[in-house]
Amino acid sequence: MNRFEEYNPITVAVIYLCILGISMFFINPALQILSFLGAVSYDAVRRGKKRRGGYLWYLTLFLILTFVNPLVSHNGVTVLFFLNNNAITLESIMFGANSGIMILAAILWLRSFSDITTSDRLLYLTGRLSPKISLILSMAIRYVPLFRKQAKKIEDGGKAIGIYTKDSIPGNIKSKLRVFSAMVTWALENGIITADSMSARGYGLKRRTSFSVFKINKEDVAVLLAVCLLFAGVMYAVLRGGLDFSFYPRVTTGKNAALYITGCISYGLLVLSPALLEIWSNIRWKYLISKI
Amino acid sequence: MLKSKRIKTAIKYLMPFILIPAFTIAGSLLISEKRHLFVSLGVTLLSLLLFYSGVERKNIGTRRMVGVAVMSAFCVFGRLLPYFKPVTAITTISALYLGSEAGFLVGSLSAFLSNFYFGQGPWTAFQMLALGLIGFIAGMLSETLKKNRPLLLAYGVVSGVAYSFIMDIWTVLWYAGGFDAGLYLAALTSAVPYTVSYAFSNFIFLYLLAGPLGRKLERVRIKYGL
Repeated sequence: MNRFEEYNPITVAVIYLCILGISMFFINPALQILSFLGAVSYDAVRRGKKRRGGYLWYLTLFLILTFVNPLVSHNGVTVLFFLNNNAITLESIMFGANSGIMILAAILWLRSFSDITTSDRLLYLTGRLSPKISLILSMAIRYVPLFRKQAKKIEDGGKAIGIYTKDSIPGNIKSKLRVFSAMVTWALENGIITADSMSARGYGLKRRTSFSVFKINKEDVAVLLAVCLLFAGVMYAVLRGGLDFSFYPRVTTGKNAALYITGCISYGLLVLSPALLEIWSNIRWKYLISKI
Repeated sequence: MLKSKRIKTAIKYLMPFILIPAFTIAGSLLISEKRHLFVSLGVTLLSLLLFYSGVERKNIGTRRMVGVAVMSAFCVFGRLLPYFKPVTAITTISALYLGSEAGFLVGSLSAFLSNFYFGQGPWTAFQMLALGLIGFIAGMLSETLKKNRPLLLAYGVVSGVAYSFIMDIWTVLWYAGGFDAGLYLAALTSAVPYTVSYAFSNFIFLYLLAGPLGRKLERVRIKYGL
């Protein structure tokens, strides 16, 4: 009954790692296009009707990335025209488009990843690898909003006693610096107090518990197994040469059509899995509501 | 698992010298195309892992850890400023007064955290390593840099330029898959405004903050014995 973002953080991280790893490390336009479509479909499903748009910016970025490559790279045999005595080739434009799609897809995937990875999920992931780093991270995450609040308090205090001005630019900068200075002293002292009270309450002892409990349940296991299978399918196709692709000197592809199709279908299912899981949970939710 | 302490130490010191070169060689042999991206990302992640496992093993003390968290949070704030960002300056100053390990942590963690606002990606690993190393080296040179103000400012300028150059290697690797001198030159040229802004903001913020922020850190260090 989970939405995609409610699966165990490990499951979500594994899916993202597989998707991004494959699209970044293997040159093949089919993979890049699939990855891009998957990212767009998950984005559309996740955000629903609210806040559509913003795609013009992505289009601009794609065009820039596509046409930068032919300007600096003159490999390839199909010369389209000459610019300042440099050959502009079809292959280098295609290579640029391939990189452009790859980068766009990665940006979209990573944006959705940081949207759905809340700080407690992040700490669950890092806490298993490194408790100390994870503690520093969690404190720093907490300090960002805390400092903003404290800075406002100090600023208000300054205003109340008449030493905070916004009248002139130098005066404003000086006031801001005064706030910053008070902030730093307060933050360091406050940090020491935090550290002491942490030690007093037994920080560093074994068997810590965490705020949010994430369990790996049956659904997570099923999804992880499916993802591993799909990943294995793609890797099988890659290692057997089914997804070989090179742009230079001319566009060449792998010969084995069956392997090619296996790889593409596996990767296609992999990149669509976030959107599919999300849709599946919506359907089940609607079904359960309809029974009430 | 391993009983003998000597074997453990041997592994600790040999790991970076075996694992990272082995990874590089395996990468160049197994991956026929010039996919430097894969190898360089792997080496970057391994080096980060090396630093973090060192921190994990060592008892750095709760107070110092909190100090690192405070300075990282300031760095994240600093990166939200437009155009001129005091991230490197704050990292350098924390490294001078809290030690090189703390410097590495402040630099790398603030890169990681602030990218939740600026966009997370494979470049995060490179930024983490670059900023972390700037902090680490500053910490190692702390005695000299603390006494000699012009040298500190020069360190800021050099680290700003170095940061930009390192990140442009990454830009080329990600874009082209392999390293390409022409693209690198193009990336460097197109990044000149950024390089200048990095170097300038490091200079100006070190000039402004080294004294006041340094005094505060020094005071806390003496008062609480960090």
